Amino acid sequence: MNERRVDAQHVPTWVSGSMGAAGVFAFWILASQVWGIRKGIPAPWQVASHLLKDWHYYPTHLNATLGRAAQGYAWGNIAAIVLALVFVLVPFMEKALMQIAVATYCLPIIAIGPILTVVLHGNAPKVALAALSVFFTTLIGMLVGLRSAEKTSLELVRAYGGGTFMQLRKVRLRTALPYLFGGLRIAAPAAVLGAIIGEYLGGEKGLGIFMINSQQAYDVPRTWGVALISTAVAGLGFALTSLVARLAIPWAPKEGGQR
Amino acid sequence: MSAVLVDYVRETATVTTPLVADGISISDLTKEFSIGRKRILALDGINLSTTAGSFLSLLGPSGCGKSTVLRIIADLEVPTAGTVLVHNQSPKALQGEHHLGIAFQDAALLPWRSVVSNIRLPLEVSGVKVSDSAIADLISLVGLEGFEKARPAQLSGGMRQRVAIARALVIDPKVLLLDEPFGALDEMTRQRLNLELQRIWTARAATTLLVTHSISEAVFLSDAVAVMTPRPGRVKEIVPIDLPRPRTPDMLRTPEFHAIEDHLSDILFGSGVPLSGDDLS
Repeated sequence: MNERRVDAQHVPTWVSGSMGAAGVFAFWILASQVWGIRKGIPAPWQVASHLLKDWHYYPTHLNATLGRAAQGYAWGNIAAIVLALVFVLVPFMEKALMQIAVATYCLPIIAIGPILTVVLHGNAPKVALAALSVFFTTLIGMLVGLRSAEKTSLELVRAYGGGTFMQLRKVRLRTALPYLFGGLRIAAPAAVLGAIIGEYLGGEKGLGIFMINSQQAYDVPRTWGVALISTAVAGLGFALTSLVARLAIPWAPKEGGQR
Repeated sequence: MSAVLVDYVRETATVTTPLVADGISISDLTKEFSIGRKRILALDGINLSTTAGSFLSLLGPSGCGKSTVLRIIADLEVPTAGTVLVHNQSPKALQGEHHLGIAFQDAALLPWRSVVSNIRLPLEVSGVKVSDSAIADLISLVGLEGFEKARPAQLSGGMRQRVAIARALVIDPKVLLLDEPFGALDEMTRQRLNLELQRIWTARAATTLLVTHSISEAVFLSDAVAVMTPRPGRVKEIVPIDLPRPRTPDMLRTPEFHAIEDHLSDILFGSGVPLSGDDLS
């Protein structure tokens, strides 16, 4: 334990960070050499060259998926934030509605997908799935954040004649920001995943559809390529929200407010 | 106990003309808390009265309910029985008219706000307007010039409490409630800030209630000290402190000061025969 601590102090973050990636990469190369493309594991360079060849397919699919993910991200998070505010302002509502919120999280989105496809049309079921996959984590992040306001700060507002709404405006909202951004960060890849699962259920464009098509065509390197791009997009969403968080809440600790 | 109270009222009445308790007036105040099914008597028949503009300390061990008294005056708790009037107004009315300044042991500064912005918080909440120059004066009164733009994380514990005191004073309160404001600070910082608090209090002249567990702090600052005992919280005795003002650090070493301190600790710890208030001067 002690040794690791000493090591961590001497090794720069970027080195330790890229060490993990290098390890995964080495394992990939090893696995591709052992099992090979016929068993479903192409070498990194095979995937890369295929990706370059396929490049012109991606923009339409990416646009479709990102559009749905972004819409779902917006709706799901707005709903979560509004609901968290309602819960804090009207505690009775939390008792009534929290179970439903928990249910949305317990529900496997792959199970609700077909229902949504029957009920809704066009883009809507995919957007709804993306929204559902971000809703709960943001709700909890925002709720915990709003609740973590210092008791004395809240009492101070009350002592000067402020009510629940004033406490929310002056203390709770700002306190909640690091927690909210913690939730929004996790929500970004979750929205992409939700949209892709939605696309699995049918459609013409989108990374999910492209992935299914290439899998069914036994185009192994292309399936890997789509998976890689999907991961990169989700990771980019995560990185972007982290960046926004750091700019928006300079007083908070670097990792956000999860501790 | 009521005899002591009458004594006390008479004592202060000789200093300030009115015989009425036009500062803080608490009679038969009782407070019960319920923890699970148990009812716990936190305050049992508290009687206190001071004249306007006087400085009263509540002294006692932790758990004696002294903070509860303060919180009831601040309208943060509702009494189970009894009446509380400050300047002949109920706590709610006092709060509604924004005559109340308050500071806690925890400075409770908002970490995203600068010093000035933290001091302004009561103004934003209450809607009271105060000129920028008044706030600048206040900042120099508490000795924070040059730190106006600093964030709380950049300040020492003592400086944060200075901000909290300035924030308590910003609406120019007629009543100042201080709940162990220096309780978390080291002894040296505490003494320095007590000296400054006296200076600030003299400049602002608000009816003040200080909750503390430090005997010397209570003696140094107060016109009177109410000694409380725990379980249930009761006022055991009210001791007038008739040391001349302004009080200086040198006074801390005088026999008079020590005599009052000893008297208070006798009441608190129950050893020896308590002196009567008259023997102290």
